[in-house]
Amino acid sequence: MKNSLKTAMIAAGLVASALAAPAAQAADVCSVWLVENSRFMGVPFGAFMPDRAFVPGSTNKSNNINTVDLPVNVGVIKCGNELILYDNGWNQTDYHKMTGTDHWSPLSKQIAQLGFDAKDVSKVIVGHGHWDHAGSLDEFPNAVLYIQREELKGIEWALNYPHPRIRAVNDSPGGCARTPACGYPSKTMDSIYGKVLKGKAVIVDGEMEVLPGVKIHPAFRAHTAGSQLLEVPTSIGKLVFGSDAYSSWEGIRDWQIANPQQTDTVQQFLAYEQCYKITGGYQNCVCAHEPLSYTDGYPLTKNSWVGMNGGRLAEIALAPGEKSRKK
Amino acid sequence: MQTEVSGSQRTAQVAALKGFGVGALVVGLVALMAVAAFRETAKPRPQQVATSAEANQIERPAVTPDEEAYARDLWPIHAQVKQDAVRMTFAGLAYKMGDIKRAAMKERIAPLTPMFESAVAALNKLQPPASMRELHGEYIEAVKLYREASVTMIKVAADGRDGHLIEAQAMSERASGLTLKVGEMLWPGEYKPN
Repeated sequence: MKNSLKTAMIAAGLVASALAAPAAQAADVCSVWLVENSRFMGVPFGAFMPDRAFVPGSTNKSNNINTVDLPVNVGVIKCGNELILYDNGWNQTDYHKMTGTDHWSPLSKQIAQLGFDAKDVSKVIVGHGHWDHAGSLDEFPNAVLYIQREELKGIEWALNYPHPRIRAVNDSPGGCARTPACGYPSKTMDSIYGKVLKGKAVIVDGEMEVLPGVKIHPAFRAHTAGSQLLEVPTSIGKLVFGSDAYSSWEGIRDWQIANPQQTDTVQQFLAYEQCYKITGGYQNCVCAHEPLSYTDGYPLTKNSWVGMNGGRLAEIALAPGEKSRKK
Repeated sequence: MQTEVSGSQRTAQVAALKGFGVGALVVGLVALMAVAAFRETAKPRPQQVATSAEANQIERPAVTPDEEAYARDLWPIHAQVKQDAVRMTFAGLAYKMGDIKRAAMKERIAPLTPMFESAVAALNKLQPPASMRELHGEYIEAVKLYREASVTMIKVAADGRDGHLIEAQAMSERASGLTLKVGEMLWPGEYKPN
């Protein structure tokens, strides 16, 4: 009886591995696109990158640009049958005026331009929990959210801090830049909590391989308490998505900090180094707000086109057999 | 049929031709300068297609003194409500993540119910200008929803049913959407690109 049970279990195991094998093979390399969910217009360059602050009359290339338009980039990653988003932009139109936004469209409609259905998104991995990176979760009801425990702990720590200026979600009507709980409005937090309540969230502790070769790497305090990177194997080599741990591609290239919100700048540099180590340089580091995105100035994203409402898309890498979705 | 032309006539014709040539050159140069000046001063055409986001960015007129006074009085209430709302969410998260037990969650939520009640009382004392009355009504509705959510969450301490949390989360999320509208109207810089 025991022997027959063992044989049955081995046979079942073999069948399961045989069934799983094609999916694992298909996920050897993934296809990757980048979608511009929206664009923050006319942001002072110095507010984004302190080393690039505008100096009137300067002829120095580092200091002669007054404002920049910052895209909000979302990674669309297809590995076998799995459809993954890295970050997911935002969809509360109330932010339009506050942030001087243009070219926004709902992310679910934007990925439809690539031929994808929002219902088929199986995983949403957020680089961090800020409103402009974790603000569209309700558009992807079947997706499992991946967020670092450290990110949630960091927000909770700030909310319970004794000093009112430090625990404030934002400290003045003029904005909350750089206070510890800034960037986490209740709407975004409620949608993260909603995923947890529905059993659609994985609270990650540090490193995690979510699919063969697709790995989450912690980048704690590189932008926020629990920032995380995503390594993705592709036909052009490994890519590492950084969200705001490296918001700027020029920043990671030139070793200049960018978007210092709740950032320990040393940890941000270590996140840069992590991408260099994994990909062998800076070319395959995918940045969330690089102003040169979708142009020759940021070569990884230059294979681009303009989609709905002027939002841009880029086809970065295709797995063998995957057809181009560029229009 | 050909006509004979005398020397003086030829000289006159050459002079006329020269004059015409110089005139044409001057006219051409002026035209060129005009085109160049136009191109320099004309506003460049946008490279992207016209956007519906522009429709979303409808400029409203500057706030009136009454609206400004209302915004000033509302801000401290709003700042506290936002913080309490996020604290409520995090109490639920901590419970669901296994960091705290039901009793501890109740301890965290219970003080928030009177906070939301105080906020409603303070809101009722405000005199919104006519242009803000609808918004003000929605805002009160939002804070009442938060209050109700806090009361609903506490029920988990008694029976352990997650259904209460799901019900409360839906209320809280709806309230959060409503409070966001106020910021869009009154504090354009409330949230910045992150």
